[in-house]
Amino acid sequence: MKPWITGLAAASLAALPLAQGLAQSGTLTVGLGAEATIMDPTRSSAGVDSYFFGQMFEQLLRTDPDLKQINWLAESWNLADEGGKPVITVKIRPGVTFHNGDPVTSADFQYGMQRQQDPKLSRFSHLLNAVEAFEVIDDLTFRLRFKEGDGSFITSNLHLWAMPKRHIEKVGEEEYQRAPVGTGPWKFVSRTVKEELRLEAYEGYWNKQNRPTVKNLVIKIIPEDLTRVAAYKTGAIDWIDAVPPAATAEFAKLENTSTYTAVTGNNLFLNFNTHQPNSPFNDVRVRRAAAHAIDMDAIIKRVLFDQGERYAEIGRGTPGYDPDLKPYPYDPRRARALLAEAGHPRGFEVPCYNLTTPREPNIKEMGEAAYAYLSAIGIRCQIRQLEYGAWINLGRRDAPPEMDGIVSWMWSHGLPGDPGTPWLGHLHSYQAGKGLGSYSYTDNAEMDALLRQQQTTMDPVKREALLKQIARIKHDQVLGGLTTYRPMVTIAWRTSKVAFKPWPSPGFWRNFQEIGLK
Amino acid sequence: MLALVLRRLWQGAISILGASVIIFVISRLSGDPVVMLVPPDAPPSLIAEIRTQYGLDQPLVWQYLLFIGHALTGDFGNSYRWQMPALKLILDRLPATIQLAACGLLFSVALAVPIGVLSAVHRGGWIDRIGRIFAMLGQAMPAFWVGLLLILVFAVQLNWLPAFGHGTPAHVVLPAIALGWYPVAAQTRIVRSAMLDVLDSDHIRLSRALGTPERLIVWKYALRNAAVPLLTMLGVYFAAMLGGAFVVETIFAWPGVGRTVVEAVFSRDFPVVQAGVLFTSILFVLSNLLVDLSYGLVDPRIRDVR
Repeated sequence: MKPWITGLAAASLAALPLAQGLAQSGTLTVGLGAEATIMDPTRSSAGVDSYFFGQMFEQLLRTDPDLKQINWLAESWNLADEGGKPVITVKIRPGVTFHNGDPVTSADFQYGMQRQQDPKLSRFSHLLNAVEAFEVIDDLTFRLRFKEGDGSFITSNLHLWAMPKRHIEKVGEEEYQRAPVGTGPWKFVSRTVKEELRLEAYEGYWNKQNRPTVKNLVIKIIPEDLTRVAAYKTGAIDWIDAVPPAATAEFAKLENTSTYTAVTGNNLFLNFNTHQPNSPFNDVRVRRAAAHAIDMDAIIKRVLFDQGERYAEIGRGTPGYDPDLKPYPYDPRRARALLAEAGHPRGFEVPCYNLTTPREPNIKEMGEAAYAYLSAIGIRCQIRQLEYGAWINLGRRDAPPEMDGIVSWMWSHGLPGDPGTPWLGHLHSYQAGKGLGSYSYTDNAEMDALLRQQQTTMDPVKREALLKQIARIKHDQVLGGLTTYRPMVTIAWRTSKVAFKPWPSPGFWRNFQEIGLK
Repeated sequence: MLALVLRRLWQGAISILGASVIIFVISRLSGDPVVMLVPPDAPPSLIAEIRTQYGLDQPLVWQYLLFIGHALTGDFGNSYRWQMPALKLILDRLPATIQLAACGLLFSVALAVPIGVLSAVHRGGWIDRIGRIFAMLGQAMPAFWVGLLLILVFAVQLNWLPAFGHGTPAHVVLPAIALGWYPVAAQTRIVRSAMLDVLDSDHIRLSRALGTPERLIVWKYALRNAAVPLLTMLGVYFAAMLGGAFVVETIFAWPGVGRTVVEAVFSRDFPVVQAGVLFTSILFVLSNLLVDLSYGLVDPRIRDVR
């Protein structure tokens, strides 16, 4: 067995001693804008679900506040090559218990994987397709054997969740969905749909260094931005999620308030019709013209109140990030010249599909502004606003509706994330029945080969090099869309009352790993 | 009276059945719910599996027959998103919505009746003008704006009332005002117009000739007669508030049915949409039935005729 990489010991866990020596007491009320529908990670169907289950459930690895991947429920792990096939061996951290007191064992991870692989339960069962076998070595050691490499398995924190096998089998599925039990720093108390989730700090939590110091946490659901702000100002909540972009400057000056602004795991871009024979975007010069036409910095500043970060193909911190790859500079003269060179001196009219959803702040206005810039150089946009469901329908699944222009799109790379899976969806050519290119308007054989290669490459060094290579070609040819920005989120809390250290859960910053009352 | 109730119930059942067909067809026209439940990279095999799981691979007519058959037994299926019974999701939210709609209606009537009566009594005077302007303000301002304004003034600035939430009488005040102000103008017009007619009638003139105190004439004899058209409208308004409180529920984070159903529409959660719309239809029918029956209480002539 030839080891490729070995997981670091969890030395970095001791870096944040917020919880040391503090007793857990008191109640803290926080306000979130969105609400999870499911509190079981293996049944989740949306990213928002992790806002809730992320407080109660944990994975083998996780991302720390510096966006570094660290060992979590795994004490150590390694990736090796056995007969040309990857094998991951995991040693579970001893002493970890579920909220009901049961110790976490290999069997719980095996059970969790079985749930994740069951398409009747899980909407993400396909993510474990590459796993051939789960071998229990002993109570605290297991091995995953792969049919072939799975490039995103490691960056997805080894995918698996600790699920309490004995407990679920004892109480039954329905009761477990009502009152979930995990290993996380918070245990479930009660939930009122559309209103609140009540949690209590888990006394038996394994991580004595990084844990909440407040006894009770009440998560209030306040969907309307201005009401959430009012709730904070009136003192009804002491921690606020997703400060509206227009209010971030006001919050930064607010007395007795700390704010934290961080990039989210979402990645936005404009995709072009390059799958229909007569599309002007088949010409790379037109795509580059579009790339030079938009002053994205100005749009982020004015429309998003600086709550966005430009990126070129891969964001900072994500595997494959290349600091030398810069976004196309705003150059309308160059854009017009490229358009004329491509045979469109007077420009052309094109349908521009614009996503309108409350899921991303000001996304509608961001799209409209970008389309206005395109119109200014001659790519005259006929804007067609789409609500989320209609927008999803533009995909190229079994009965593809035609996307005959430009569409504003988003596909999360995560935090720190990985571009591999989204690229297979919107950069790889469409292949019916295989789940490849499901939202792609690109057909490039070289790109397809590289994407397939990265899909099966688990060695992080080789993978990094491949991702950079793909990003460079993608950027040069403006393939699979023009990357625009990564949204940022601002959270705020009352300094005199709340001690808080922001931790991300996969893709989000609403994790209360370290929070307490002063 | 029993025959009237039975006839109205039968007509109501037909209306609800019609509503079930309409909502079933319209919700399915919105597109495939499964693509909104799976990640964008989900393979077709997973999508097909989920379609089968929810019976969405069956012919539409068969899907409807199954739905209506199960609905008659109280089973509206499981929410695609919440993975819990859709009916429970709706019924758990229903008390909050009824409370909000009732308080909103109470607020609107409490304003509309005195304004309408005083406007009629002082026809063309300054009370009439001010009253109508106040009532019109509610109709001119959208509920979301009124709601935010109320929060800003009474929660943030004055700190008198909570900005959001549910549970105590104080929590319902601002949402009820935001919901109830809009219909005040229409109700005021109805009361004013009916009062003008009644105040001009023979029996009121006779009462005055007999020396009955004016306060008694206006607030008892005239208002009682003028209340019939208002009562008719109240049933409609109550039902409209039950189904249309979405905006107010969202602004005040009120855990009601409207918010639940509208969010279900956006996520194509058919079982929740169907359960929510059918329950709202049932409440609509029942509230109209109650209005019909209440005519008899305020006007014995109607009771006797029927």
